Amino acid sequence: MVLVYFLQIGVLWLNQLDWGNMTLQAVTETDNAVIKMRGITKQFGGVVALNNVDLTAYAGEVLAIVGDNGAGKSTLIKILTGVYQPTLGSIELDGQPFSMSSHSDAIAAGVDAVYQNLAIADHLTPAQNLFLGSELTKSVFGVRILDNKKMKLEATRTLKDRLGVQLKSMDVLTESLSGGQRQAVAIARAVRHDNLRVLVMDEPTAALGPQETAKTLQLIKSLRDQGLTVIVISHSLDDVFEISDRIHVQRRGQCAGVVHTNETDNEEVLSMIVGATSSGATTTA
Amino acid sequence: MQEQITAPSSIGQKLQPYVSFIGPMAMIVAILLFMAVVEPARYFRVSNLNQILLDAALYMPMAMAMTFVITQRGIDLSIGSVAALSAIVMAFLIKQYAFPVPVAALIALGLGALMGLINGLVITRLKVPDLIGTLAMDLVYRGIALVLAKGLVLARFPELLTEIGRGQSFMFLPTPVVIGLITMLLGYFLLTSTHFGRYTIAIGSNPEASDMTGIAVDRHRVYAYVLMGTMAALAGILLTGKLNAIQATSAPYFNLHVIAAVVVGGTSLFGGRASIVGSLAGVLLLSMMINALVTLRIEFFWQSVASGVVIIFSVALYTWLQKKDRDGVAGMASLFKYPKKSKTFRLFAIIVASLFLLTIVGILFSGDIKPSG
Repeated sequence: MVLVYFLQIGVLWLNQLDWGNMTLQAVTETDNAVIKMRGITKQFGGVVALNNVDLTAYAGEVLAIVGDNGAGKSTLIKILTGVYQPTLGSIELDGQPFSMSSHSDAIAAGVDAVYQNLAIADHLTPAQNLFLGSELTKSVFGVRILDNKKMKLEATRTLKDRLGVQLKSMDVLTESLSGGQRQAVAIARAVRHDNLRVLVMDEPTAALGPQETAKTLQLIKSLRDQGLTVIVISHSLDDVFEISDRIHVQRRGQCAGVVHTNETDNEEVLSMIVGATSSGATTTA
Repeated sequence: MQEQITAPSSIGQKLQPYVSFIGPMAMIVAILLFMAVVEPARYFRVSNLNQILLDAALYMPMAMAMTFVITQRGIDLSIGSVAALSAIVMAFLIKQYAFPVPVAALIALGLGALMGLINGLVITRLKVPDLIGTLAMDLVYRGIALVLAKGLVLARFPELLTEIGRGQSFMFLPTPVVIGLITMLLGYFLLTSTHFGRYTIAIGSNPEASDMTGIAVDRHRVYAYVLMGTMAALAGILLTGKLNAIQATSAPYFNLHVIAAVVVGGTSLFGGRASIVGSLAGVLLLSMMINALVTLRIEFFWQSVASGVVIIFSVALYTWLQKKDRDGVAGMASLFKYPKKSKTFRLFAIIVASLFLLTIVGILFSGDIKPSG
């Protein structure tokens, strides 16, 4: 009698445990957001650059952020990458509250950015650029010096394995590379960190020719297929429609709506950017 | 784009790193040839070549440090005064307070480093532009040196100091040359194998990007000025030893001479492009040029004219090269292929011609050419 009672309690307990697990799983399935920005507001003095903006990005997707000049795109991603701190609002990374005081905090947490004005030192070689700020060192007679050979090897491997890019020579200065190759070096610097989860790209194709653009877009797709969250700011709607899974439209510091790329067209997005359709303008998706 | 990278391939690619070095080497060869024709007997005497090296040695440590400062897009105009003040303090310590030479020399180096630190802080913390900041600090340091030494010439130092300044203990190489070459080697090591060197190029190449990458830009700029101050103090010590005397007004034109040597050597005033080997070649070139002027018995003051012309010439040359950067060596070669591009080339021909003209005018005006003594 007593035994059965205990057994029943045991079964109940097991059930409960299982049940709990199931709900946990269900939650992660419906909400695998890597980045969740909530109610982000940023003021510069009296100017409100961002007003109560929400942004969600999932693993393995390309999220495009579009909008007119001054719509708050750059401010938004600068907050995401720790360059600016929001006046109000919260950021969650993998469901955990996430606060940064600098860009290096963001990198440490797995969020990195490739900026519009390519953050590349032209007078360094690709490998030196790739490891800029986090050089590999070796010890010679107890003195830590730069391990240039190892950095070159690792850089070649990162470029080839992660991005499928092979440079003719790793010894030339980065200034002699083409726009697309320089872009690849900048991206490689970000993806070199093993813990990278979110890659933010500001106008990755702005300075590139058609061929280089196609190559860079291909690169972004392959990064997404590797499971990264890629957030792309772009003025080129053609590029946005080619690579993105969802489009986040910013307008005058507010989110004018988020649409799935395969459920919309160029015209609708354009009208959201300029604010032509008042009905479509919802603050959240 | 792929084709463009393969195009200059083998020879061009291989030459690329040495481009900065070719300029001063070509000019050195030109001077050698010129002197071989005009005045071979006196110029190529062993004692004269020794003298050239001895003159060059004084500038080697400073040129090394200046390479870092200029690569970071900075400039230091205060080095002459830093050298003079450190040397004056060292001289007082030795003469008046009977300090042993090594201790006094170390204190002088420390003082130089301190002055470099002040320069660096003025520039990075007070945000005074480097040109104005170091020019003003030049006045300050020179003033302090004058206050300390008045018009005094401090002379006759212990043998150790003159050994450092003009000794000949390494067989055919004077001691200061060995010291200078060691600092050059140190500079090469710093540039290629340390964070400081790597960040120096990065900061000069793209300051914003360096900052964004998390490099402590201001801290590394201060490091460069500290290195500069220390090396200027070392030059002050070498100068004191060489002359066996020092006074507050010594080393007046160190700054321009060193900047000229570094720029001639291919280090870009616009930042990011550093060449220690080039700086060494630049130092040698200037010493050879000045020695050539002396050997030709051209009036001393023409040296300053020649130095100025060389600075203008090399900065113009490298600015032009900068424009051609993307093509590298191939771009230089294209100069000869496409006559339209030869406009700049003609400009250089004019500058070179005027340099020679100046030399000839100098010879004419310097009057009687005495037999060698």
